[in-house]
Amino acid sequence: MEASFLAAVKISILAIVVIFTVLVILIFTIKLLVKLIPYVAPPPAPPRHQTASSTSSDQDEHVAAITATLAIHLGKSPNEFRIVNISQS
Amino acid sequence: MEFSFSASATKILTTTGFSQLAIGDTLMILVACLLIYLAIWKKFEPLLLLPIGFGCLLANIPMSMMANTDAGGLLNFFYQGVKHEVLPPLIFLGVGALTDFGPLLANPTTLLLGAAAQVGVYITLIGAVLLGFNMHEASAIGIIGGADGPTSIFIASKLAPHLLAPIAVAAYSYMALVPLIQPPIMRLLTTEDERKIKMEQLQPISQTVKIVFPVVVTIVCCLMLPGVTPLLGMLMLGNLFRESGVTARLHETAETHLINIVTILLALAVGSSMTADSFLRLETLKIIVLGLLAFSIATAGGLVFGKIMCKATGGKVNPLIGSAGVSAVPMAARVSQKVGSEADSSNFLLMHAMGPNVAGVIGSAVAAGVFISLFGDVPAPEPHAAIADIVGTVEPGIRAAISQVADIAAKAH
Repeated sequence: MEASFLAAVKISILAIVVIFTVLVILIFTIKLLVKLIPYVAPPPAPPRHQTASSTSSDQDEHVAAITATLAIHLGKSPNEFRIVNISQS
Repeated sequence: MEFSFSASATKILTTTGFSQLAIGDTLMILVACLLIYLAIWKKFEPLLLLPIGFGCLLANIPMSMMANTDAGGLLNFFYQGVKHEVLPPLIFLGVGALTDFGPLLANPTTLLLGAAAQVGVYITLIGAVLLGFNMHEASAIGIIGGADGPTSIFIASKLAPHLLAPIAVAAYSYMALVPLIQPPIMRLLTTEDERKIKMEQLQPISQTVKIVFPVVVTIVCCLMLPGVTPLLGMLMLGNLFRESGVTARLHETAETHLINIVTILLALAVGSSMTADSFLRLETLKIIVLGLLAFSIATAGGLVFGKIMCKATGGKVNPLIGSAGVSAVPMAARVSQKVGSEADSSNFLLMHAMGPNVAGVIGSAVAAGVFISLFGDVPAPEPHAAIADIVGTVEPGIRAAISQVADIAAKAH
C-alpha cells in the first residue's frame, strides 16, 4: 500500500510538471503568434445613407431599446440618463 | 405440431422478463428511473443523463439483449464505438466546432488556471490508490476531476473498462451539479474584495491567429503526448472548421447534427454498461465519493492559482475565473460570472472566465495524455495496408530487404 501511495505521489508530481510545461510552451507560442500577427481593425464601413424606411419613429424605437438595454447593464433606472445623439458610422 | 394451452402459457410466462427479473435488475431499473427523473424534472445535464438513464433501463430488462456485453445486441454495437475510442473523439470534434478560443488567445496566461485545476485529478488519484484501486483504475477515476465527460469515458475505456459506467455517471452527474458544488468553495476561498475585482477588456485577436492556433496546439501537444491525439486532434480539427471560414458546411454539421447523433450513441452505450454486475458494487460508492472530491479540489486548485495570479498582477485578475479551469464548458464560466455579479452587479466575468474554461478542456486532455503515456499500451506500428500492397508487387529481393527492415523496426519497438 505504502509503495503504491508513494508511486501515486511521484506520478502526480511528474504529471503536474508535464502539464504545466506543455501549457507554458503553449502560452509562449500564443504570445509569439499574437506578436507576429497583430490584430488589424477592419476598415470602417462606408457611411450608410438613411433609407426612406428609417423614419423618426424608427429612431425613437431604437433610442428606447438602447436606453432599456443600458439601464439593465448599468443597473440604473431609464430616467437617470438620456441618450442625446446616435451617430451611424 | 401440437400445442397444449397450459404448455404454451407456461412457455410464454418463462420467456417474459419478469421470470428472470433479479433484485439487482430491479435496483438498476430504479437507478435508471432516478436518472431519467433528474434529467427531465431537475434538468441535470438532460442531454446526457436522459439517454444514459434510458440506456440503463434497456440494459437491465432481462433477456432484452441490450446490455453492452450482449454480443449481437443493439447497444453492444453502439458500445463498440466507446470500446474502440471512436465516439469520445467525435464529441470533441463537435466541442471544437462550438468553442471560441478567442478569450484564451487574448489572455493566454489563463492556460495556467486550466493546468492548476488538474490538481484535483492527481489528488483524487492518490486518494483512489489509498482506497485500494490499482494505478490504472485510480487514473481513470482521477480524471473525473477534469470535469470533461468524453475525456473521462476515453480514459476509462482505455485504462479501466470495468469501471466505465460508474465513472461516466459520476462525471456527468457532477458536471450537472457544478452550479451547486462550486459556489460555496468559491465564497470560502475568496474575499468580498477579490470577488469585486473588475478585469480589463480583452484585446481583439487576429483571425489568422485563431486559424493557426489549432494547428500549433496539435503539433505541440500531440508531439509531446501522442496518446492524446485522438481527443485533442479532433478538438482542434473541429475548431479549424469553425475558424478557417472555408468549411462552413462541415462546421455546421460538426456543431449540430454530428455532436447530437454521437451524444445519443455515446450516452446509450454508457447507459448500457450500467448493469447490476458492473454497477452495484462498493467500488461505485467509492467512485462517487472520489468524484466529488475530484471536482471540489479541482475547483479549489483553480481558485488558489487565481489568487496567486491576482497577487502577481497587482489585483488585475479576479480569482473567481480560476474555478472555471475545470472544463465543464460553459457552465463553470457561467458560475464564475454569477458569483462575481453577486458581489458586484456591474462585474462581467463571463468572457474572462471562458479563457480558463477552454484552457481546462486542453488541460484535462493533456492530463489524459500523461496517463496514456504512463499506463496506456502504445501499439507497435504495423506496416500500413498501402505499403503492404507495394511490398506485394515489388521484386522478391527487394521484398526480402523490406521484410528485413520491418523485422528490425519491430524488434526495436
